[in-house]
Amino acid sequence: MSATGPAEAAQLLYREALLLDTLDFDPWLELYTPDCLFWMPAWRDDGTQTEDPDRELSLIYYRGRRNLEDRVKRIRSGFSVAAAVMPRVSHIVINVLVEPAGAEGAVRAHSAFNVSVHDVRSNRSHSYFGRYEHEIVTTDGGPLISRKIIRLMNDVVPTMLDVYGI
Amino acid sequence: MTEHLRLGDLIDDRPEQGVFRVNRALFRDPHIFDLEIQHVFEGGWVFIGLSTQAENPHDFFTSFIGRVPIIVSRDGEGTLGCFVNACPHKGVRLVQKICGNAKRHVCPYHSWTFDSSGANRNIKWQKGGRYGVGFAEEDHDLFRIARFGEYRGFLFASMKEDVPSLDEHLGEARKLLDIVADKSPEGVELVPGRVTFTYAANWKMQLENCTDQYHFTSTHPSYIRILDLRAKEQTEEVVRSSIGGADFWQEGAAGITGGTYSFDHGHALNWGIMPISSASPDFERAQEIGERHGEARRNWTFNMRNLTIFPNLQIAENASSQMRVIRPLAADLTEMQTWCIAPRGESAESRSFRIRQYEDFFNPTGMATPDDTVCYEEAQLGMAEQERTWLQGHARGHGASVMGGNEFSDMIDVKPARSVLSDAQLCDESVFASYYRAWAERMSGVLA
Repeated sequence: MSATGPAEAAQLLYREALLLDTLDFDPWLELYTPDCLFWMPAWRDDGTQTEDPDRELSLIYYRGRRNLEDRVKRIRSGFSVAAAVMPRVSHIVINVLVEPAGAEGAVRAHSAFNVSVHDVRSNRSHSYFGRYEHEIVTTDGGPLISRKIIRLMNDVVPTMLDVYGI
Repeated sequence: MTEHLRLGDLIDDRPEQGVFRVNRALFRDPHIFDLEIQHVFEGGWVFIGLSTQAENPHDFFTSFIGRVPIIVSRDGEGTLGCFVNACPHKGVRLVQKICGNAKRHVCPYHSWTFDSSGANRNIKWQKGGRYGVGFAEEDHDLFRIARFGEYRGFLFASMKEDVPSLDEHLGEARKLLDIVADKSPEGVELVPGRVTFTYAANWKMQLENCTDQYHFTSTHPSYIRILDLRAKEQTEEVVRSSIGGADFWQEGAAGITGGTYSFDHGHALNWGIMPISSASPDFERAQEIGERHGEARRNWTFNMRNLTIFPNLQIAENASSQMRVIRPLAADLTEMQTWCIAPRGESAESRSFRIRQYEDFFNPTGMATPDDTVCYEEAQLGMAEQERTWLQGHARGHGASVMGGNEFSDMIDVKPARSVLSDAQLCDESVFASYYRAWAERMSGVLA
């Protein structure tokens, strides 16, 4: 199966951004492979991020889409005050650079992100920024995200941060 | 400015009438905040870090005591010191990094230089400086924090000289730090990766929440439902929960499920019975802990223990193991510094398991803490009310609170000042009185 082209890879990133912006979680989950990695490392000190998720702490570390499905269930549960009034979000994804990844037919897309979150409950807006590293595999159903690393630069979280805000 | 502040107006403490109430002003008033920063945080013992954060000669880390930047540095001989992280020359913060290793620290402004023991090693162009005679009589070293002490690797300092010894300050609560430290013969360490978050509410919301059993099933049902779901459909992909398998928090649980202990000087514990189970990352050490410290201490190691060492250290051992440091920034703004605290030398499997349990529960990007911090902020909005002075959130459990300990504390030779033995629905709040009595003690000089 041929690798996803650069334009198609970028389209996938933009589609993900749109689905998160519209809090449209079901098609968002469908962008991921069942065994996907979803990882947001923490910072060790001023300048280095954690690298080994089994020996160092991450802000989020999930192996398996099931975990993302759990996050969505919680957001929708009606039992979380943090999701009682949903924030409004806008993702900007730019500087997309696509290169071949290790596995056959897989590509890696580097990009920069800036997510603005307006927390309606508290009437405060926050900006989260950093870099994404997506790994995209080609499947019968089209390109899917097999791996997403979120390198969050401003890691002092005001109150809370959920999967739609990164 | 302070003559109008009367303790009785802020804390209504009448044990003989079964009344303990706290004024909302304690959570919102900027004037009270200024005083408590000065007298609670800069006027007595506070926690500043673990000795393993500066383990080797010349290692250092920086932090704050109240408003004051500090540096904790290990000198070439291996002795830890705690100093104001500011050059005596012009007050410039000397070290900007949060941690590192350096034999010398050079002030970025005029190059005054200090070694890792805080001693001044160079004043640039001192001979050419034509200083007046008085200058030589001044101490040019880094200002040493008045009191600095270590207990089992936990570092504490006091800006004020005239305070009880650290041993006296920690009192019987130190034995609860022992349980944390004794999980491994090598002691504990912080897992690399610190997580910091802020919330727009008073620091005492976090202070109380650690020992607030009452909120768990109300604030976290969305998380509890995920745990239930995962327990039913446990796969390799999802992390196994330790707290999900315990019943101390479940309303239908029978008999004694835990309780609280209050200690002198504001320390407090909320605890619940948990089984010795492979759902805990400490399970691999269960037998060894039993052999080293006996059966009772082993059982307590596996119990849920939410410990506050007043005013700013909390160790939460429930869904995983967390060390958190409370840093008040304003009456309505608090910074939380959080780490996964773990026994040294644990297996790779247990460490990874501990980290996975931790992230989902404790992180501000996880599935439980966000519901706490949002509640703190909603509480802060409610604290603005001026008409009705008194909160009703410190009242549960007074009817069950007794002097001294009980059979569970006796098991491990812990002698609390007060205790409550609890079923699942008691959810003691009287334990919070410990915080406010210690607060009042530290504020005694400015309260009538």
